[in-house]
Amino acid sequence: MMADRVIFVCIIILAAVYFYATAQIPSLEIGDPLGPKAFPRLLGIALLITAGILFMEMWREAKTAPRQKERITAESRRHYMVIAAVVVWTGLYIAVFERLGYVIATTIYLLALMAYFHPGRWITNILTSVLFCAGSYVMFNYVLGVNLAKGILPF
Amino acid sequence: MDTLAHIINGFAVCLQPINLWYTFLGVFLGTIIGVLPGIGPSATIALLIPVTFGMNPTSALIMMAGVYYGSKYGGSTTAILIRTPGEAASVMTSIDGYEMARKGRAGAALAVSAIGSFIAGTIGVVALTLFAVPLTSMALKFGPAEYFTLMLFAMTAVSSLTGKSPAKGMLSTIFGLMIATIGIDLQSGQPRYTMGVAEFQDGVGFIVVVVGLFAVAEVFRGMEGLFHGTAPKMIKISGKLWLTREEWKRSIGPIWRGGIIGFIIGVLPGAGGTIASILSYTTEKRLSKHPDEFGKGAIEGVAGPESANNSDTAGALVPLLTLGVPGGGATAVMLGAFIMYGIQPGPLLFQNRPDLVWGLVDSMYIGNIMLLILNLPLIGLFVRLLYIPSGILYPLIVAISVIGAYGINGSTLDLYLILFFGVVGYIFEKVDIPVAPLVLSLVLGGMMEQSFRQAMTISGGNPKIFVGSVITVTLIVLSLISIALPFVLLRLKALKAASEDAA
Repeated sequence: MMADRVIFVCIIILAAVYFYATAQIPSLEIGDPLGPKAFPRLLGIALLITAGILFMEMWREAKTAPRQKERITAESRRHYMVIAAVVVWTGLYIAVFERLGYVIATTIYLLALMAYFHPGRWITNILTSVLFCAGSYVMFNYVLGVNLAKGILPF
Repeated sequence: MDTLAHIINGFAVCLQPINLWYTFLGVFLGTIIGVLPGIGPSATIALLIPVTFGMNPTSALIMMAGVYYGSKYGGSTTAILIRTPGEAASVMTSIDGYEMARKGRAGAALAVSAIGSFIAGTIGVVALTLFAVPLTSMALKFGPAEYFTLMLFAMTAVSSLTGKSPAKGMLSTIFGLMIATIGIDLQSGQPRYTMGVAEFQDGVGFIVVVVGLFAVAEVFRGMEGLFHGTAPKMIKISGKLWLTREEWKRSIGPIWRGGIIGFIIGVLPGAGGTIASILSYTTEKRLSKHPDEFGKGAIEGVAGPESANNSDTAGALVPLLTLGVPGGGATAVMLGAFIMYGIQPGPLLFQNRPDLVWGLVDSMYIGNIMLLILNLPLIGLFVRLLYIPSGILYPLIVAISVIGAYGINGSTLDLYLILFFGVVGYIFEKVDIPVAPLVLSLVLGGMMEQSFRQAMTISGGNPKIFVGSVITVTLIVLSLISIALPFVLLRLKALKAASEDAA
């Protein structure tokens, strides 16, 4: 499988980065025979062994299973684009979360998502997002004492 | 007789009005999330941790356990009515349960899963009560080397039993352990892998990882599902919510057997509710006088698996409470919750805080009764949750996740992390890497490293300490077996296929 090959390469890169980062940890070996590096080194080795096992699995699969071309259709590509857009939109929401405050940022965030995934029902969408945000803010801030970002609102 | 007194005293704890209220809240929430797609028990428990910070830990843990076993009740409802398991463990129920519903026996299918869940859930709690004490006395003999090998066994079992490829299970486990090494090293005080970010000095919180992997990733997956037009058709509940005499007679055996199978599987690390229900299903099919009815609406195929996946939750609490080492994703999150409250589960907890342990265990008897009431007369109410359009539900789940993650430290870094782990979880699912092993090893990672180093300090740097006692040797052998098992099974399958080809 194509995906497995990508995973294999990622593991090797990750192992290399992890070994490098482990070497950067300063350690004074006093009263602790192993120090902070030993366990991570073991993990790095275990990761390489796992890469070896994965390689064997890929090898066996390539031998037994007939090669299948995995095709990404235009439609599934569009789905991935939408998910990617949702991820970017969520990132933007987080970026302005503290500046705008929980209530405003979340209301806008929810409205946009609902407009796309639950289209046409404007009244339901607006009511749900506004009531949810206001309600959860009141409940968490005032009843449960969990502080959500206040932002530009005065309360 | 000390224990008996503690058990009875536990009822005094869990019958306090405040704890009854939290039991109710827990099982109620559990039923809801069991019915709703997109958010499961692991993510819910993680999201509850910041909310319950100010609470008395006993009440908080009673509520979280309620969410855990309550979700199993709710999961069967969607399996029966729309053929979509609300929780993975209800996957077997969706076969015969849905067929029963199509034949107009939805009422009976829902009733048998609630009653079976109740009986088996209670069997599980009784067994938990009986097994806990002998196990703790054994666990008291555990030193760091024993703990290290025990955690190793839990991780190898989980990584080779979840998912399709053993290598990918191991990969997930090692990722979790690596994330656990981020932060200040407890013994030397050195920061590790913090990349210069001050917040990472405390490590990556497991709550954000769990919420990302189990809630946000699930939302991405669900949103993708919306394109495939998988709006499920729901079957109206028909027939009385009770069983005929004939159905009773057919169900009672599977319920008992399922209860026992589920408990045993629950105690073992790695397997979990899904395997318990599959095992119960195949057992019932084999024992049945009319195996051809299975898949076409056999009530045994609902009664057995539903019972098994409920007593599994009680079984899963055995290693968590007695040894302090969980054997799966949801119990790992529970362990994380215990630790956040400054409580270390394990044998000493039974000595130091019997009120907490037995209050928690006893609350499960009561919670199961509440669930039976919630899930029979009130089922119509919960079914209405299924009418919430997914296009509204999924965005709200992200908002709830944001509240939970931001509530821990008030830091936007945690929000970026849930998004990051949401994407990771989404990709992992696409490429068949299971996420449960990652959560388990993330929660256990710190403890595992500490016990490894303590053991090595005790032995003066000699690794022979890990094969120094009967317990460690047994656990290492078990770990090796669980690593080898999937390969052996594959080989056997290949041999069997070859001999069938030859014949």
